[in-house]
This record gives sequence, C-alpha cells and structure tokens, in this order.
Amino acid sequence: MKMPTEELIQSLARDVPAVPPHATGRRLASGLLAGGAVVALCVVAGLGIRPDLRQAATGVSFWMKWTYAAWLGTAAFLATTRLARPTSQSFGSVWPIAMPVLLLALVGTGELAHTPASEWPALFLGKNWTRCLVMLLLLSLPMSAGVIWSFRRFAPTRPRAAGAAASLTAGSWAAAIYCLHCPEISAVFVLTWYSLALALVAAAGALWGPRLLRW
Amino acid sequence: MSATEDQLKALMLNGLAGDADAHAALLRALVPLLRSFFSRRLHDLNEDTEDLVQEVLIAVHTRRATFDVKRPFTAWLFAIARYRLVDHLRRRRAIPVTENLDEILVAEGFENALSARMDLDTLLAGLTAKQARAIRDTHIAGYSIAEAAEAAGLGESDVKVSVHRGLKALAAKIRGVRR
Repeated sequence: MKMPTEELIQSLARDVPAVPPHATGRRLASGLLAGGAVVALCVVAGLGIRPDLRQAATGVSFWMKWTYAAWLGTAAFLATTRLARPTSQSFGSVWPIAMPVLLLALVGTGELAHTPASEWPALFLGKNWTRCLVMLLLLSLPMSAGVIWSFRRFAPTRPRAAGAAASLTAGSWAAAIYCLHCPEISAVFVLTWYSLALALVAAAGALWGPRLLRW
Repeated sequence: MSATEDQLKALMLNGLAGDADAHAALLRALVPLLRSFFSRRLHDLNEDTEDLVQEVLIAVHTRRATFDVKRPFTAWLFAIARYRLVDHLRRRRAIPVTENLDEILVAEGFENALSARMDLDTLLAGLTAKQARAIRDTHIAGYSIAEAAEAAGLGESDVKVSVHRGLKALAAKIRGVRR
C-alpha cells in the first residue's frame, strides 16, 4: 500500500548525511581504485611484470604508451562524471578524447617514416597483437565492474553515452596498468591495438549502458 | 505560491551540508511542482501522478550527491522528473515523451533566474500601454474596474475592453511562446 507523501518525506528526512564536494568524482574514483586493485593483482601475480621494466621506465616508448592510456582515462573520467548526473548534456566535446589519438597518430607517422617499408608489418603486429588485444578486453572487465558499482548512486539520464564513457574510463585505466606487463614498443602498435580494444570496450558500454545503468 | 529557483537551490545546498530540516522543506516544496508537472503530462493516467511524485522525491533524496552546485537546481530536478516519466510511460507502453528537457524548462517557467515578475513584465511589454496598465491595475494591484478607470482617467467600459483585449493578446502570446 502506498505511503502518504508527507510520511515518505519525513522518513527520507531522517537520514540526511552531509555530501562532500565532488562526491560524484570521488565515488567514481573509488570504483576505479577497487577495480584497479583487481587488475593490478592480475597483472602482477598472473601475467607478470615485464622483466625489463626498470630499463623500460627510462625509455620513451613505455611512457608514451602509459601517457596515451592515462590521458584517455582522464578525459573519459571527466566525461563520465558529467554523464553520471541527470542533465540534458550530451557526451560533450570529443576533443579531449580525440587529442591523444591524433598526437599518437602523429608520432606513429614519424615512426613509419623512419622505418623501411619492409619492416612496417612488424611495427603494426608487434610481438603478439592477439594476446595484447584479448588481455586489454579481459582486464577491462574487473575495472568496469568497479565503475558500474559506483553508478549505483548516480543518476545518468543518457545511459548509452554514460555507458560508453564509463567503459572507456575503465578500459583506459586497465590499459594503463597493463603497461606494466606489455612488452610492445611501437607507437603504431599502440595506436592500432590499444585503440581498437578501447573502442570495442566503449561500444560494449554503449550497448549495455541502458540495461546496466538504469535506475 | 510556488518556490523559485533561488529558494529551492538554497534549500538543496543546506540539505547537502547535512541540514535535515532544509532537506525536508525542499522535498515538501517540490510536491506541488511535481504534481503539476506529472498531472499535466499524464492526461488520462492521473492515478499514477502520486506514485511518480514519490519516485522523484526518493531519487532526489538518494541521488542528491549528483547535484552539481554550480548548475541550476530546477534543471537537475526536471531532468530526473523527465527520466522517471519516460521510464513510467515505457513500462505502461504509452505514448513516449517527445519534449526534450529544454522545452520542459521553458514550459515550467524556469528558464533563467526566473521570477514570476520578470515573466509578467516581458509579457506585458508586448501590449499597448493602456492595456498593460488596465491589466496591472485590475489583475495585479487588485483595484476594481471603477477604481482603475478613475485612476487612469478613462471610462469603465474602456478599461473593461482594454483588459479583455489585453488578456486575449497575452493568451495568444503564451501559446506562441510554448508553440
């Protein structure tokens, strides 16, 4: 039986905790940290950190790859906090997300220009592109679970866009952790396979958003 | 008398700071707003209005952390109300909502800093000075036709006709504004 509205208001007003500023961003960040802990465990204990990490961490290609993932992750994070709120706002500008892709494409073009055409396939395919693609997709799952948990208190009114942004955030930060393992070095490899994996993850998020993020 | 954006936002901000009384006052102030919002859009499904009002109150409460303090409160509120309405109609397999949020905000009269007086001034500005004064005197200031006629130095029938024509023009204008 329906409760009278005044009674409902009184019962709701019994529990009014203070809400800290930026509560949405904080909650999303805790979801990512929880997912990230699982991903880090999988990478460190399961896949293993690349043996030459100490050496690679002084090189350009490792940080290029990490910056690409972290930049996408940050841009997607900001888009997600907007889409977690009930507004008529759309996905927003795509530039923060397109920018790292364009910059990496620029680096990749330079890389190709300095490499004989006969070695281009090796640059694109790397040591093992299928493994990299599959790992990125799998590792984005625990991260996405964390993000979906944080959405339980959000109020997205554009669930498709919110789903895409949320999964892109999850996928990008999972990729940033996967960098600890991934031995690939070329920019065109990262541009091709990391981007493809993240595009697939974002598409899956757009597909599942209306079902998983409804409230 | 319905609350303004500024009043509602102030209550919301106090509620977010942990003030339970402000929060309760906010929810109470929203009830008439939401009732009129839903009953105008549900047509023959009026018995569902109160359910939807309660659903929105619960959402305003449980999802209050998603309110962006830099943005207007009413835009946040009606985005929630619209989402709940769309969801409700989908469950009912009724006609979908075609209004977008901007149209709702205009229709609900909350476009800007939105005080009723500002709307009224804008509307009256489109009338002749005689019509505007006649409407102000008789419908806002509360004078009788005779008092208004004497104050303006006109005949009573002249005031009556001005009020009548002015209101007709206003109605046409409001319909035009809301399409």
